[in-house]
Amino acid sequence: MIGYAAFMIDIAHLSYVYPGSRKAPRRVALDDLSLSIGEGEFAILSGPNGSGKSTLFRILSGFAVPSAGQVRIGGFDLVAEPAKVRTLLGVVFQSPAVDKHLMVHENLKIHADLYGVGATDWGDALDWTDLGGRMNDRVDTLSGGLARQVELAKVMLTRPRVLLLDEPTTGLDPSARRNFLGAVHRLHRERGLTVLMTSHVFAEAEDADRVAVMREGKLLAWGSPASLKAMIGTEMVVVRSRDADGLAARMRADLGLAVRCIGEECRLEETENGTGLPLLERILERYRADIISIAIKQPELEDVFVHVTGTKGDAP
Amino acid sequence: MIHTFRVALSLAHREFTRFIRQPHRVVGTLAQPLLFWVFLGSGFRGSFSPPGMGGISYLEYFYPGVMAMMMLFASIFASITIIEDRDAGFLQGVLVAPVSRMAIVLGKVLGGTAIALGQVLIFTIAAPFLGLHLSAGGFVLLLLAFVLTGIGFSALGFMLAWPMRSSSGFHAVMMVFLMPLWMLSGALFPMNGAPAWLYWAMMLNPVHHALELIRAPFYAGPAELFGRFDYDLSLAVAVAWAVGCLVISMVRVERRERGAALG
Repeated sequence: MIGYAAFMIDIAHLSYVYPGSRKAPRRVALDDLSLSIGEGEFAILSGPNGSGKSTLFRILSGFAVPSAGQVRIGGFDLVAEPAKVRTLLGVVFQSPAVDKHLMVHENLKIHADLYGVGATDWGDALDWTDLGGRMNDRVDTLSGGLARQVELAKVMLTRPRVLLLDEPTTGLDPSARRNFLGAVHRLHRERGLTVLMTSHVFAEAEDADRVAVMREGKLLAWGSPASLKAMIGTEMVVVRSRDADGLAARMRADLGLAVRCIGEECRLEETENGTGLPLLERILERYRADIISIAIKQPELEDVFVHVTGTKGDAP
Repeated sequence: MIHTFRVALSLAHREFTRFIRQPHRVVGTLAQPLLFWVFLGSGFRGSFSPPGMGGISYLEYFYPGVMAMMMLFASIFASITIIEDRDAGFLQGVLVAPVSRMAIVLGKVLGGTAIALGQVLIFTIAAPFLGLHLSAGGFVLLLLAFVLTGIGFSALGFMLAWPMRSSSGFHAVMMVFLMPLWMLSGALFPMNGAPAWLYWAMMLNPVHHALELIRAPFYAGPAELFGRFDYDLSLAVAVAWAVGCLVISMVRVERRERGAALG
């Protein structure tokens, strides 16, 4: 059924421009973006608000036609053969896509009908959920976590090859968030799904095979979490100060070091193993009066994000 | 093709389920035309005596007009729920599914038609009390008229509502466009006797033809009606109207947002 393809999702030189109107000026949302995701890979797309994630998601879901470039999913061209692509896709939107006035099983039935899945071959599609006893409840009576499970359950019912998720954990409490992601990872492993998920939360990206960082419609970084973290060395020193810009300028002049300043934080990245502690001591000795706190830390994905985008993510 | 029809039925079934679980909607769409009929029908009783229509009470004359009104309002209020579907997110899940875009339109339209049909059939119970008698063939023609007008009005509602982002805008359309269409349909007053400009406005009004299809079976059998030019004309207009609105709706659903050219 699936055409020959080296990659499951193949995005080549994709651009999208919102036409200007009286209300909003013309805006480039995606700028010559290329990205390829292999079959069975779990990829996370991150970036600050306005980075083009949502536009990319709208294009991948088939709602928008790009200004230029090409997207192939499972070997099928998204613009030329939307019907073929739709059969491969399962999409979990950020906003709920179930009818909350209907019962859980009624929602599942409608979705099964849309994909031509018979009422009897649901089989193990619901095994992983906690919905067992709630099938006859209206969706608007479920907790946020369970309502999200309905979204994922209805999508999995149709056995997609590619799962797209748009900030699926928004609004969930930490335990519901963990539960939901656990389910996504388990489904990914057990069914060999290709997963592309947008996320603001860097902790969610640590378990991914690949992470993309976008900003202003461009791809700034793309690789495994380990390789991305290697970009900024194995240790870093983070100094907090009331006058971070002034302190950074002095450190650059006095010590000849590359210092990145974000808010009230100065970051000294690309420090090799073992050099962090002596550096910390030197800084503390010289600038003690200006420092609120100082720490050595191993880079996390959030630090990579700060490094490549120059802004703090709006992660909690 | 079979898949398209099954999807449409599944979506139509959802419409109906939602409708009957909202009692205020059921009461509202049923009560309004009934009140219209009872108040206007009784109020105009004494002053209604158009030439050549002796023996017909205003209550009787107005009866098919109220049926047309029920079909119009119930179908359109059902199909503009597409605005709510988009707003609540349900629609996005349907749009990414591998279903023909016609199935999405038909689901809404058939759902709206079923809802309107249910109500107008309840109202049909009043016919014998007005002294109106339907033959079996006449009843089939009446059903055909209901289904055709239901599809036509629902599709019109869908077509108008699709690009709208809030239902408040739709109420303006309703008052300045749909109400006049109904008023000029011949529901309230007969065409003959109207000034020439009004006569032609009514003749060009598709709702007038829908009403004629509803009114005629009460007064003549199928054999006579199919031989009459005015009935066949009304039938042709109603079919063309339904098909036209369905096709335009489908084209609208099919259209995807396009990025502007580079440069």
